[in-house]
Amino acid sequence: MSDLLIKTEKLCKTFHHDGIKTPVLFDVDMQVRQGEFVAVMGPSGCGKSTLMHILGLMLSPSGGDIIIDGCSAADLNEAGRAKLRREKIGFVFQRFNLLPTVSGYDNIAVAERIRGNTVDGQVDNALAAVDMTEKARFKPGRLSIGQQQRIAIARAIVHRPRIVMADEPTGNLDSTNAETILELFRQIHREQGITIFLITHSLTAAQYADRIIYMADGRIQDIG
Amino acid sequence: MLKLALANLTHRKIRSALSVLAVAIAITLLLVLVGLSRGTLNEVSNRMQSVQAEIIVRDKHFDLGSMSGGKLWEKEIADIVRIQIDDTPAVEHVMAVFLDRMKLAGLSQNVFGVHPEDFAFFAGSRRLIKGEIFSDVDSPSAALALAEAKSNRKIILDSASTTSEPLNYLPLIIDQRLAAASQLAVGDPVSYGDSPAKIVAVVETGVAGRVFAPINMLRGANGVAAQTAHMFFVKANPSLNTDQLQKLCEQIHSNIRRDATLVANYGQVIAENFRNLTIFMNLVSVIALVICFLFILVTIYTIVLERGKEIAILQSLGASRLRVLGQTVQESLIICSTGTVLGIILTFVVRYLIETLQPLMTIEVRISWILIAVLVGIGGGILSALYPGYIALSHDPVEALSFE
Repeated sequence: MSDLLIKTEKLCKTFHHDGIKTPVLFDVDMQVRQGEFVAVMGPSGCGKSTLMHILGLMLSPSGGDIIIDGCSAADLNEAGRAKLRREKIGFVFQRFNLLPTVSGYDNIAVAERIRGNTVDGQVDNALAAVDMTEKARFKPGRLSIGQQQRIAIARAIVHRPRIVMADEPTGNLDSTNAETILELFRQIHREQGITIFLITHSLTAAQYADRIIYMADGRIQDIG
Repeated sequence: MLKLALANLTHRKIRSALSVLAVAIAITLLLVLVGLSRGTLNEVSNRMQSVQAEIIVRDKHFDLGSMSGGKLWEKEIADIVRIQIDDTPAVEHVMAVFLDRMKLAGLSQNVFGVHPEDFAFFAGSRRLIKGEIFSDVDSPSAALALAEAKSNRKIILDSASTTSEPLNYLPLIIDQRLAAASQLAVGDPVSYGDSPAKIVAVVETGVAGRVFAPINMLRGANGVAAQTAHMFFVKANPSLNTDQLQKLCEQIHSNIRRDATLVANYGQVIAENFRNLTIFMNLVSVIALVICFLFILVTIYTIVLERGKEIAILQSLGASRLRVLGQTVQESLIICSTGTVLGIILTFVVRYLIETLQPLMTIEVRISWILIAVLVGIGGGILSALYPGYIALSHDPVEALSFE
C-alpha cells in the first residue's frame, strides 16, 4: 500500500458572491505522505486556508480532485465526506472553535460520540498528551487561550486520525504559548506518527515542519 | 449528545427560560381560547342533560339560544302521558317549564319557572346548599289577584307559603356559581323587573337553570294564562331502551306536533342551533392552533439560527447532516416539551383564576385538546427545528467557523 496520504490534481477554487467570481486556487498539484509534518506558508489571502478547508473536505473544489488515503473526494457524497472527515482527519483552528457550553473534557467526548465511539480512556489519554488533565472539567471560557488550543489539539487527536490539519494554530497566541503548541505538534507527530498539515504565515512555525510548501496568489510557488 | 443539548440550554439560562415561557404561553393561549369558546356552550348543554328526564319537548319556534319563542300548553301533558310504546305506558312524568329573563350579577339570566314538586327532577343528585324549596300559588291569576290586593304596584305574593303572612316577593333558587358571581346569599332581596324578589335557596352548580322560580307566579308576573309553558321535560318509563325512546319522540311529535328531542342529543341540537357560533368556535380553535404553531416556530427558528457556529463545529468533527439535525431537534424538543407541560399547568391556573374572578365563565379543558396541544408542542418543536437546522446546514461551515 502506498504511503501517499493526500494527493491533489489540478485543484481549483472560485468563490461566487453576488454574481462576482473570485478565483482563489489555480491548478494546485501537491502530495502529502503518511507521517509527514508539512507546513504551507504564504501571505494572507494567498489561498492556503482555502486549500486546507478543501483538503479537509469542508469545502468543495470548483475543479480538480483530491485523493485522501486512496479515496477520491469527487466520488463521495456529503455523507461520505463527513465519514472521511470523522474518521481520518482532525482539525485545529486559529480561533480554537471549541463548544463554549461544555467542559474541555466534554468537547473531546462529543467528538468521540459523533464518531460513534464509547467515551473511555482515550479522552483521558488525549488530555494527558496535551497536559490538560487537571483543567479538563473547566469550560473553555475559564481557560487561557493557550489551554483552549491544547484542548482543541486533544480533540483533534483523540481518535488517532491519519492527519491533523491546523489552520494558523498559533495565530491567536503569544510567543510562549505559540512555542508550546508547536512543540506539542512536533511531539504528537513524533510519538504518535500522525501526519501534520500546518497552515501558517510564520516562518518560525513553519520551521517545525519537515517540509514547507510556499503559496502565493493561489498557486504553489515552491516545495522545500 | 443529550448532555450537549442540556448544556446549551443551561448555558443560556434566561434565553432558554424565555423560550420555554413563549412556548408555554402559546400552549396556554391555545387551550384557554378553545376551552373558553367551547366551555360555555358545553356547560349549558351539560346542565340541560343533568335533568332527570330523557326527552325535551318544545315548539318548533322555540329558540334555544334566547330560550324564548313559541309556547306550549300544559294540557298537552295529558296527550304525552297516555302514549304507549309496545303496549307499555311510556311516560312516567312530564315537567313543564315556563321561562323568563331577569338581570342578576350584571347579566341577563334565564329564569326557569317550575312546579315546586318538579324541582327534585331538575336538581337530581345536586342538593340545596342553603335554604328551602319555594312553594307556589294555584294559578297565575291567583298570583295576580293577590298582588293587586296587596299593593298598587305589580307585586307577586306567595299565598302558599308556610308562613302565616303572605310573602310579597318572588322566591328564587339560584345556583352556586351565580351566587358566587353576584355575591348573593339566601335572604338577599333582588329585583325581578319592577317587582321585589328574594333568594330563598342556593343549589349546587350543575342544575339546568341558574335561576328557578315558582311557575305560576312567573306566569302571573308575565300576565299569561295558566298552563302556559315553553317546554316540557319528559321522564320516560325506565324500562324503555334507546330505540323505544326514539319511538316515543316520534310519537310525541306525531301526537302534539311539537319537536321532541332526546336529552342525550341536546348538545348536538344546540350545536345545530348555534351553527354560526360553532363555525366561529372552530375558526377560533384553528387560529389559536396556527398562532401557537407559529409562536413555537419563531422561537425555535431564532434559537437554531444562532447555532450556526456550533453546527459548523459539529460538521468539522465529521457529524453527518442527520446528526446535526438530530442535535437541533433534541434541543427544540427539550424546550417545547418543557413549555408544553408548563403551558398545560398554566392553563389550569388561568382557568382557576378566570372561574374564580368570573364564576359564570366556563373554560373547558378536555383531554383531547390537551393531547392536541401536546402534539402541537412536540410537532411544532420538531418541524420548527428541522427547517432552520436545514438552513443552517446549507450555510458555508468555513464561513460560520470564522465568526467570533
